[in-house]
Amino acid sequence: MGPLVINEIISENTNLLLAFFIGIAFGFVLEQGGFSSSRKLAGVFYGYDTVVLKVFFTGAITAMLGLLFFSLFDWVDLSIVYVNETYLWSSVVGGVIMGAGFIMGGYCPGTSFCGAAIGKIDAYVFIAGLFIGIFLFGEAYEWFEPLYLAEFWGSPRISEFFGLSEGVTVLLVILAAVAMFWMGEKAEKMFPRDEY
Amino acid sequence: MKLTDFNPRILLSVIILSLGLIIAAVPRNTTTPFKLTAQQILDELKSGTQYLEAELVAKMIVEKDPVLQLIDVRPQSEFEKYSLPGAINIPLDDLLSPEYADLLNQGTMTNVFYANGSTRANEAWMLVRQLGYENNYVLMGGLNYWFETIMNPQAPASTSSDDELARYDFRKGASQALGGGGLVASVADKKEGSAAPPKPKAVGKKKAVKGGCS
Repeated sequence: MGPLVINEIISENTNLLLAFFIGIAFGFVLEQGGFSSSRKLAGVFYGYDTVVLKVFFTGAITAMLGLLFFSLFDWVDLSIVYVNETYLWSSVVGGVIMGAGFIMGGYCPGTSFCGAAIGKIDAYVFIAGLFIGIFLFGEAYEWFEPLYLAEFWGSPRISEFFGLSEGVTVLLVILAAVAMFWMGEKAEKMFPRDEY
Repeated sequence: MKLTDFNPRILLSVIILSLGLIIAAVPRNTTTPFKLTAQQILDELKSGTQYLEAELVAKMIVEKDPVLQLIDVRPQSEFEKYSLPGAINIPLDDLLSPEYADLLNQGTMTNVFYANGSTRANEAWMLVRQLGYENNYVLMGGLNYWFETIMNPQAPASTSSDDELARYDFRKGASQALGGGGLVASVADKKEGSAAPPKPKAVGKKKAVKGGCS
């Protein structure tokens, strides 16, 4: 039956309405999880708080398992689920810039709005910087374009890339996640901070 | 010993790991039929989902969308006289030749067939659809309609709706970006059939919805 929009079970507008409610719930959960604190978020880079790693990997493996079980029960057709396209060099360069910004600013774009929602001044500064960056990119787009569109790979999935079945890939990601959670908690004990 | 006596972290890890083991052990769901029946193709044909509007294709060309692959199904001589930017030529007679199979049966690109009218492109689409290939579409109205609307747009009456005026503005812009105007006279006389395209119900229905998170 799924994806709902593509199979015309719900309309594009209903989809946007659902996205609106899911977005509010997402922001609420992020805030309640402490993601509006830049010190807590930056903790993942210093090892004193690895909640970012744990939350996002839990989200990833839950979604992976959910989608594969849904596909098994014929509830969703995975072949027409949208997969973000890969432009290798934009991903690499963008990832480095985003990571550097994350360490320095203590936010990622989503959590900066979370922080702004509860009135954090550093989050507002971060968002201002975000818009300056968007503006500069837009103005210099012609200069960036060759890099931006280089190495287009289509929409490869990890399983196709390594020639594994989707189920085995998910199992490997789960094993990696559990190992990382364990290491993350070790790190929290090794580099503790009382107040942040 | 009760379940709550376990460390919740270990309990959750064990649950998730066992679900992972189950999903790794079951075979992939392959219930989706590979080849379509004649009835299914007729249904798709009637609903017109194979058509992509000229405006959408023009937008993809102007934006240099790397997913777009235009395929000219006219004979080579006509292709050499004029073709759309970035198009490749697969004459309808050669469509089933093995050298083109990888190009037509793939999951990355959006293939768009075109000819002067809609007929030949539609025939190409029906053939590859019958084989179960996905991501193949037809340029609505073909080159004739392309020249009427994109390359040589007619200004709508000043009393037209905002939508229509906006569409005209887009066509004018696309026409400039694609070098329209002068070319019209030389190609527009090559009519293949009726230039009036059918109105599709839902264009590009199977195209995945864009989304994502940052």
